[in-house]
Amino acid sequence: MITNILITLIAVFGHLEDFLGTTLLSRPLVLGPLVGLVLGDVTQGIIMGATLELIFMGNIKVGAAIPPDVITGGVLGTAFAIMSGKGTSIALGLAVPISILAEMILSGLFIFRAVFNKKFEQYAEAGDIQKFQRLHIISGLLKPLLMGLIVFLALFLGADAMKVFLDMIPLWVNDGLKVAGNMLPALGFALLMHVMFNKKVAHYFFLGFILSSYLKLPMIAIGGIGIIIALVITKFTEQNFDSDDGDETADGDEAMSSLSKKEVRGIFYRSLALEANFNFETCQNTGFAFSIIHVLKKLYKTKEDISAALKRHLQFFNTSPYGSTLILGVAAAMEEQNAKTKDFNPESINAVKVGLMGPIAGIFDSLFWGTLKVVAAGVGASLALQGNIIGPVLFIIIYNGPHLWLRYKLTFIGYTQGNRFLQRLSGSKLMDNLTFGSSIVGLMVVGAMPSLLMSVNTPIEIGTGDSTVALQGILDQLAPGIIPLLLTFLTYFFLKKNVKVTLLLLGLLVLGFLGSMFHIFI
Amino acid sequence: MIKLTRIDDRLVHGQVAFTWVPSLGVDCLLVANDKVAQDDFQKMTLGLAKPAGVKLVIRSLEESIQFLNDEKNKSLKVLILINSVTDASVLVNGVTEIKSINFGGIRSGEGKRLISKSVAISEEDSTLIHTLLEKGVELEVRQVPTDKKQMIETLL
Repeated sequence: MITNILITLIAVFGHLEDFLGTTLLSRPLVLGPLVGLVLGDVTQGIIMGATLELIFMGNIKVGAAIPPDVITGGVLGTAFAIMSGKGTSIALGLAVPISILAEMILSGLFIFRAVFNKKFEQYAEAGDIQKFQRLHIISGLLKPLLMGLIVFLALFLGADAMKVFLDMIPLWVNDGLKVAGNMLPALGFALLMHVMFNKKVAHYFFLGFILSSYLKLPMIAIGGIGIIIALVITKFTEQNFDSDDGDETADGDEAMSSLSKKEVRGIFYRSLALEANFNFETCQNTGFAFSIIHVLKKLYKTKEDISAALKRHLQFFNTSPYGSTLILGVAAAMEEQNAKTKDFNPESINAVKVGLMGPIAGIFDSLFWGTLKVVAAGVGASLALQGNIIGPVLFIIIYNGPHLWLRYKLTFIGYTQGNRFLQRLSGSKLMDNLTFGSSIVGLMVVGAMPSLLMSVNTPIEIGTGDSTVALQGILDQLAPGIIPLLLTFLTYFFLKKNVKVTLLLLGLLVLGFLGSMFHIFI
Repeated sequence: MIKLTRIDDRLVHGQVAFTWVPSLGVDCLLVANDKVAQDDFQKMTLGLAKPAGVKLVIRSLEESIQFLNDEKNKSLKVLILINSVTDASVLVNGVTEIKSINFGGIRSGEGKRLISKSVAISEEDSTLIHTLLEKGVELEVRQVPTDKKQMIETLL
């Protein structure tokens, strides 16, 4: 019973990510080891988490497009597999369908949450900051609580039945699932290629493959080489873009700004809960208001003013959480101007928000999902697959180091420099170089993934009698890891042909099963 | 060649820059919008969001129609971005090449109803949609390229 509760808490923690700044603490790479810890087998948990991470690699949240719920699926899959003493293949076999089911429940919740919008409007109308904040938090807690309940019920009611069911699975199915499980990462990699791979940068993919396959370099080294190449190619060191430091001016210009450094920092902390009340109708609107509500409270003294400001920020809003603080900073500065000057047009605040949210999402989604997540997961998973706990730890650090630093800085830059910063940015070549450079790093790491992170071999032998030669031996001389690479390209090819993801998933499963039954793959 | 005509009221953002552009392999983003074409601030921010190696063209609707019908531009692989059903029907009337329209995102508001996770339409939109359907234009809802195409007539 205690175990069930602890595992439920892990799932709840994963879903609490919406309050924790979308810091990827919810990924299987992180939650797997926690489940392992509770069940007394950390190493298994690390390995299962890493394997799930690979399969869900290309599974990312862009805009309002919701991917399978890998939190619920991953936690339950890992837990059932360890509890019944089965291997990674079972964890996979369970996690994939559960994730897809759980995603449907989540979609339902995101539709349902819109019901609260009326309430938010009422509170805004009344200028009731307390109730407004409370509802944002309560509605945000619905997701972790609901999914936690589901996980608990599944464990409580299903664990025994699941064990009986899993014990009935014959050996050949287990073997097939194992081979299929080894093939599934090809889909994750292909999904990444789908958004990153094109003729202009294709050679960096192959460079990544060669470095990993022939030179046997670890993922960290390949990422490092990628960064150096990117710096050289974009001549990064030769350009100087100075973003005169945000924090310096924040408390220096007392006459200009009435917000203290602490209050600006408060925007950053509050922005971590930006996505807590995400819903399909207005997306992150209450999260935006929640993030600067303390600023509004300070700036506006009358109930009418507070009410007007709250209502203003209830408009549709959706952007990348990682770059959100820049917009929040700009909005805070504009609110301040509005509070101070009589003839300021408050409509312009929303105009700027609307103008910025798309572009900021475009930049930060590409940088964070397209590069940083890929590098962090590549490095983390490559270590974790060997059962090394450093893997998940590095994953969190590589991703959140830059994330939190930038998110913090951008709050001050937005507040003190606002649109001037953007103008300077658009005048420089920095953005172009940054996106191009990061695509090089990302693609090199993806290129290294098939040979480093996938293991699909063939037991086929050629010839008869004494003169048999193992096909795998020949392939290894040609290019180690060629089978994973070809599988990845095959999946990518079908993806390009608009074949559905679920169909590809099934296809790889069938290929794995058949390959295992006919002894083509092990 | 027009690769995709997309209604998305955030115009260039994550889904566009990060999923559609690479997936379609386009080399030109055309933002067709009367208001944005006049607005230097928006032009600047859209320029920032533009993916590397892609040309960004921001024009009014009328100029966009000229741009798309210009023989010189036929070699470009274009992704057209517009932000309303009204603008979509203007483009369809002006450019015969547009046979299909992707509904990416239209936020909800007064008098609108959600017909999918990310698309809300008004009564007026609904009328325009019926006219477009009668003309034989394909109207499909997808946020990202790997989504399943949902035909709009099944959602109304």
